[in-house]
Amino acid sequence: MPYFWLLLFFAVPFLIALKISFAKAAIAMPPYTDVLYWVDGFPVVKLRGENYLYLLGDSLYINAYLSSLKIAVVSTFLCLLLGYPMAYSISRMAPATRNIALLLVILPSWTSFLIRIYAWVGILKPNGLINNYLMYLGLIDSPLKMLHTPIAVYIGIVYAYLPFMVLPLYTNLVKHDHRLLEAASDLGAKPWQAFLKVTLPLSKAGIIAGCMLVAIPAVGEFVIPEMLGGPETLMIGRVLWQEFFNNRDWPVASAVAMVMLALLIIPIMIFHRAQAKEMEGKLT
Amino acid sequence: MTSAITSTPIPAATPGGKPDKRGVDDYLVIDTVRKEFDGFVAVDDVSINIRKGEIFALLGASGCGKSTLLRCLAGFEKPTAGRIVLAGADVTDLPPYLRPINMMFQSYALFPHLTVEQNIAFGLKQDGMAKEPCQRRVDEMLNLVQMSKFAKRKPHQLSGGQQQRVALARSLAKSPKLLLLDEPMGALDKKLRSQMQLELVNIIETLGVTCVMVTHDQEEAMTMANRIAVMEAGRFRQIGSPDEIYEQPNSRYTAEFIGSVNLFEGKIDKDEKDFVTIACPTLPDPIYVAHGVTGFTGMDVAFALRPEKMQISKTEPAEPHNKAHGIIEDIAYFGDHSVYHIRLDRGTKVMCNFVNQQRWASEGFTWNDPVWISWGDLEGVVLTS
Amino acid sequence: MSNATRTSKWSWLFLGFGFFFLYAPMLSLIVYSFNENRLVTVWSGFSTKWYGALMQDDQMLAAAWVSLRIAFYTACASVVLGTMAAMVMTRMRGFRGKTLFSGMITAPLVMPEVITGLSLLLLFVSLSTWTGLDFARGMTTIWVAHVTLCMAFVTVVISSRLAELDRSLEEAAMDLGANRVKVFFLITLPIISPALMSGWLLAFTLSLDDLVLASFVSGPSSTTLPMQVFSSARMGVSPKINALATILIVGVSTIGVIGWYFMERAERRRQAEMQAAAKQ
Repeated sequence: MPYFWLLLFFAVPFLIALKISFAKAAIAMPPYTDVLYWVDGFPVVKLRGENYLYLLGDSLYINAYLSSLKIAVVSTFLCLLLGYPMAYSISRMAPATRNIALLLVILPSWTSFLIRIYAWVGILKPNGLINNYLMYLGLIDSPLKMLHTPIAVYIGIVYAYLPFMVLPLYTNLVKHDHRLLEAASDLGAKPWQAFLKVTLPLSKAGIIAGCMLVAIPAVGEFVIPEMLGGPETLMIGRVLWQEFFNNRDWPVASAVAMVMLALLIIPIMIFHRAQAKEMEGKLT
Repeated sequence: MTSAITSTPIPAATPGGKPDKRGVDDYLVIDTVRKEFDGFVAVDDVSINIRKGEIFALLGASGCGKSTLLRCLAGFEKPTAGRIVLAGADVTDLPPYLRPINMMFQSYALFPHLTVEQNIAFGLKQDGMAKEPCQRRVDEMLNLVQMSKFAKRKPHQLSGGQQQRVALARSLAKSPKLLLLDEPMGALDKKLRSQMQLELVNIIETLGVTCVMVTHDQEEAMTMANRIAVMEAGRFRQIGSPDEIYEQPNSRYTAEFIGSVNLFEGKIDKDEKDFVTIACPTLPDPIYVAHGVTGFTGMDVAFALRPEKMQISKTEPAEPHNKAHGIIEDIAYFGDHSVYHIRLDRGTKVMCNFVNQQRWASEGFTWNDPVWISWGDLEGVVLTS
Repeated sequence: MSNATRTSKWSWLFLGFGFFFLYAPMLSLIVYSFNENRLVTVWSGFSTKWYGALMQDDQMLAAAWVSLRIAFYTACASVVLGTMAAMVMTRMRGFRGKTLFSGMITAPLVMPEVITGLSLLLLFVSLSTWTGLDFARGMTTIWVAHVTLCMAFVTVVISSRLAELDRSLEEAAMDLGANRVKVFFLITLPIISPALMSGWLLAFTLSLDDLVLASFVSGPSSTTLPMQVFSSARMGVSPKINALATILIVGVSTIGVIGWYFMERAERRRQAEMQAAAKQ
């Protein structure tokens, strides 16, 4: 039964989206032409590649894809930079404090995503907290423009996805045998060497899982660029949204989604394999 | 005297009231049972008849198929071929929950969310037993394993030994026709083990329940079982009582698997009706064995000699044969006895036990002492396979 | 030990920074929700008037009620379907389409919501045209979309618990005369019930939180709370949203902390009892 649910509501929709991405926009309800015709009782499939050509032809889309990827990669890296030391520190704590720290990491991800992003609007806007504080200190005379800039988008993504980086890293790091580091230092490795040679390679699976968990959804992120980014912050999720809701061009929106999916299919498969491995490790 | 003849064997009554058609000797029949996993043969056409009331041990190293055979008996694995017949009824195709067989699991598998009482009552409730007789039976079982005090506790509030008692009580509560024990002492520490082994055997024998156990610990099999089957690569290598298995191993494999042994490879030199001699390249003189063997002159055999069957002395023994000279290379001291590792003049190493009867041994053997070893004419076993 | 203390100084620094980063924005929301001034970030005195204003906002309240109902039904359905999926994943080996199945379970975890949302909407529209039935977009379609997403998360939570579960417990129950169905309800389900609980809560919060999926598949009559918040936040910062945020943050944190406290206490008691038992 869950199988059919997923098949019906997850797999089939993609096929439909794929189909519609080959259709042509029309002023009708639903607003696209049919791909499948019946001519004298024979089905005729008319695939229109024009939506894809259109995507290729307009630099807007290519730039949006590239900048989405760039933003996702950079913010994933920043997340890792901040999340790894946090996960590492938590995994080295005494069990009682460890659980409290873990709860503190998870708690924000339970509260509304939208509201947490909204909080940054109040902090970053021209008469927001940071600007007010800096002006109060006399460090600046006029407000800095922080809201509606790429920097705000980076902050937002790192902020929203940090728990998703810390959690898989923590689950991996906490399983490490502390004696391995002792053995390394017994064999003459300095702490940072032991970290580089022992801890870091062993936590590879956690790093992969964490990065995929942040990077893949970040590519298609809509809320963060919409609320924190400026008009020049192009992200593909936003382009899709506009194509769909503002221009009501469903076929082009579908094509945008299909290309995005094609870009993400490899990272998703990497993530799936890491996930499956984790499962099997537990089963044996 | 005719009455005595007709009354044995006593037909065991089944709960259905039908007299058991089968005899006591073939209470459980395992008939050419085979189990394959993706082409790998875990159990290879194994057959055995198990007597009513017997404690039967499957002994072998890990991966020998003993656990798979046990799981076939319990019904968790379906044999690829062969039949399992219990008390005259074919149970091969019955699912585990319909078999009159209960198992005590290796890690006990006590239900963590149920109390001791509820754990023991679980099986009875599945049979739809009424509340009152169920409670009576639970109390009876708790008494049997001396756990009445702990009836309301949860499993995690019990020590390892206590958990084992509950597991035993739970598996006996339904009065199974066959009790299975999977590595019964596996989760206990060494000291508790020997105590629980005897206690478990006492309880099982008091109830007269037939029991098949699986273990990799030969000591455990020897102490608890009436009969042992040594398993290797999915087959029985030898079946017999503990002393048969130890004193009369039928192959090099069992001789080496059970206890420690010195093996001398050689050929039959003289093959007479009441004695044989075996020429071994590693010994100066042929070995003299004071009984005949089924074999022929020139046949390749091995002579197996347990370390405790040898004598060790500083002077040459008077007997004409079954002796060799060497040097003590190593001494392992075990308190009650010592094991001397002696390198014979022709280069082979043998182990020889010496019981430390006196606190200060008069014959103080030490490293590099030249010594003689010797053994009686009937102490070793000639192995042809 | 000197090693441990040296790293812990750095640890506290990183953790301090990380937690400040995570919590400062939320704290600022809470503090300014009590601000009297209409301009959110200019403090002019303590007031609870925005909470009053929030309670008067019928649109907001209606949206909250819609969201809560969807979240409740989503959580229930996700736990049922997720448990089944997890049982299939961990208990059945090698059936046809297992790879596809497990792929479909992990994919929604990371799939950008815009893609899932768009595809689901197209599905509902196509279903309407093909079958001629009217799949009116509204609460039901949002519910379906949310279950698809949340089920994946619940499946992961429950299958990791199932994978840890000692299989011999289920075998023991079967050995004692319980058939597969009874084993599941008498043994498996009670033992994994904490995982079911956390899966339910996870699905509930995810559903309550979702904006993108709901925006795609909702109809005119069904506006969820995040949609309402989003449209008013786009207009600019409003103290009313601060008040709502505070209620949400405090509510979720309280539930989270209480749940954590009870689980922690039970675990600690269990550990103590196990130690006491080992000493007997």
